[in-house]
Amino acid sequence: MTKLLIWLSLSIILLASPFLGAVSLNFQEIFTQGSLHAQIFYDVRLPRVVFAFCAGVILSLSGLLFQTLFRNALMTPYTLGISSGAVLGAGIAIKLELLGVFFGLSIVSIFGFFGAIFTVFLLLYLAQFLKRAHNTSLLLLGIALSLFYSSALMIVFYLGSAIQNDMLLRFTMGSLSIIGWSHPLSLSIITLILFLTLYGFRYELQLLGTSDDEAKLRGLDTKKTTLLLLLVSSFAIGALVSISGPIGFIGLIVPHIVAKLYPVSVKERIGKTALFGGAFLVLCDTLTRVIQTQSELPIGIVTALIGGPFFIYLIISKSSR
Amino acid sequence: MIEFKNYSCSYDAKSVLENINFQIPSHLALLGSNGSGKSTLMKSLCKLVKYRGKVYLDAKDVQEYDAKELVQQISYVPTKLEVYDEYISVEEYLLLSRFAYKQRFVNYVKKDYDLVALNLQLLNIAKLAKHKLSALSSGEASLVLIAAALTAQSKTIIFDEPTANLDPKNTKLISQTIKELKSTHNIIVITHNLELVTYLGIQTAFIQDKNLFLLDERITKDELVALYD
Repeated sequence: MTKLLIWLSLSIILLASPFLGAVSLNFQEIFTQGSLHAQIFYDVRLPRVVFAFCAGVILSLSGLLFQTLFRNALMTPYTLGISSGAVLGAGIAIKLELLGVFFGLSIVSIFGFFGAIFTVFLLLYLAQFLKRAHNTSLLLLGIALSLFYSSALMIVFYLGSAIQNDMLLRFTMGSLSIIGWSHPLSLSIITLILFLTLYGFRYELQLLGTSDDEAKLRGLDTKKTTLLLLLVSSFAIGALVSISGPIGFIGLIVPHIVAKLYPVSVKERIGKTALFGGAFLVLCDTLTRVIQTQSELPIGIVTALIGGPFFIYLIISKSSR
Repeated sequence: MIEFKNYSCSYDAKSVLENINFQIPSHLALLGSNGSGKSTLMKSLCKLVKYRGKVYLDAKDVQEYDAKELVQQISYVPTKLEVYDEYISVEEYLLLSRFAYKQRFVNYVKKDYDLVALNLQLLNIAKLAKHKLSALSSGEASLVLIAAALTAQSKTIIFDEPTANLDPKNTKLISQTIKELKSTHNIIVITHNLELVTYLGIQTAFIQDKNLFLLDERITKDELVALYD
């Protein structure tokens, strides 16, 4: 019953979201071609809902993936510093004023992307030197990397001009305000690739969710599979973060809630996590538009405000067991 | 047929086993002090640890087996059932033993489900099929681990301290189960439980001073205990 209510309210939010915001849209007006309401609806609100939904899917699926691969509820691309890597990469591109486009991708995105991928490889390289209890150590490595990246970003700020810094600052707050369909479309394709990869590897994921030795003992090449899944996910995260900036904690919160709602094996939770994550970020994004301050709240700040306490709750509840 | 040739292994730069040349008989109980390298030796066979020298399975180097091939030959039953995914059910867990036989991207087939059901029945735990692994008692968990090994349909099953965490009743149950498997499988049992060794009535090897040697069948319990000094 609770489940039904939750899904029902999320669906209502999904449907209502495009109508909510600084300008409340009139249902009839949007079918009038060329009207202001139709323009806002089709060129601003709808693409934004699609973008937010895809971002939510990518963040939650990556969270679920990282938690399964590393068998630790606190692992996400965000807590491991992969998002920070993307932010630093994008930040450097902004500072260097590399604002052009290369093969249809903005150079800022490409830099963000490499920041994410570079961080994954750095983590995997460093993880080799860790001993058995490598999971907590890996998390600490990720946190150390995040701190290092923040300092490096401070240097970029320090060297930047006022205009660059304003752009950078807004970027680091995380934002889903995009206009037009190019970002939502490219992100939907990436989202679909990520989802299909995870779904295609659902049995491998189920194996990896037991333990590394168990997975090997059942005949899985754990190294190769882990690397492949990490790359696909980091690719998606890099692409997302280089457009939206960092949006934290979704990957931590959503898989946890879905697992509480559906206490079933990870294989059965992939689709549910994707749907819930997408709808959940649309909800958060709708909140930022409805709660009007001087201008709308950056989404990254909203999710961090919810996520920070949740992170602490997770650490305490895991350690008390 | 399993054979170790010039096998050596170190752990944290400390040599554990040195230059072992040993052919494993069809059934074997493997004894030795804590940390003497019993599990390490057997994990080498499953390619879970790095070693020097060669390990042969049916005259072929285990390193030349791909992961799925090897699983169809050897199953390893750990002491404790420890998995991260706490919501996986017993049935789903047993199906994972069929991963090595499964086609990529598709579901497990009817034969896999049938085997799982069969082995659950064989060990009298059919009623646990839908239970979550996290909700099992240690006795039930041990049976599930054995059922998983049977479901993999490998010729050889390695038991790593199968009775270490069990009460007398479950120890008896698991010992009986292992003994019954002697007729269908090659079994290797790593253990400190000397009663289990006597009960199984199989050849016994001992690890001492980084080496492995077979024990005389007429060895008395006191002599055996003295070996641990």
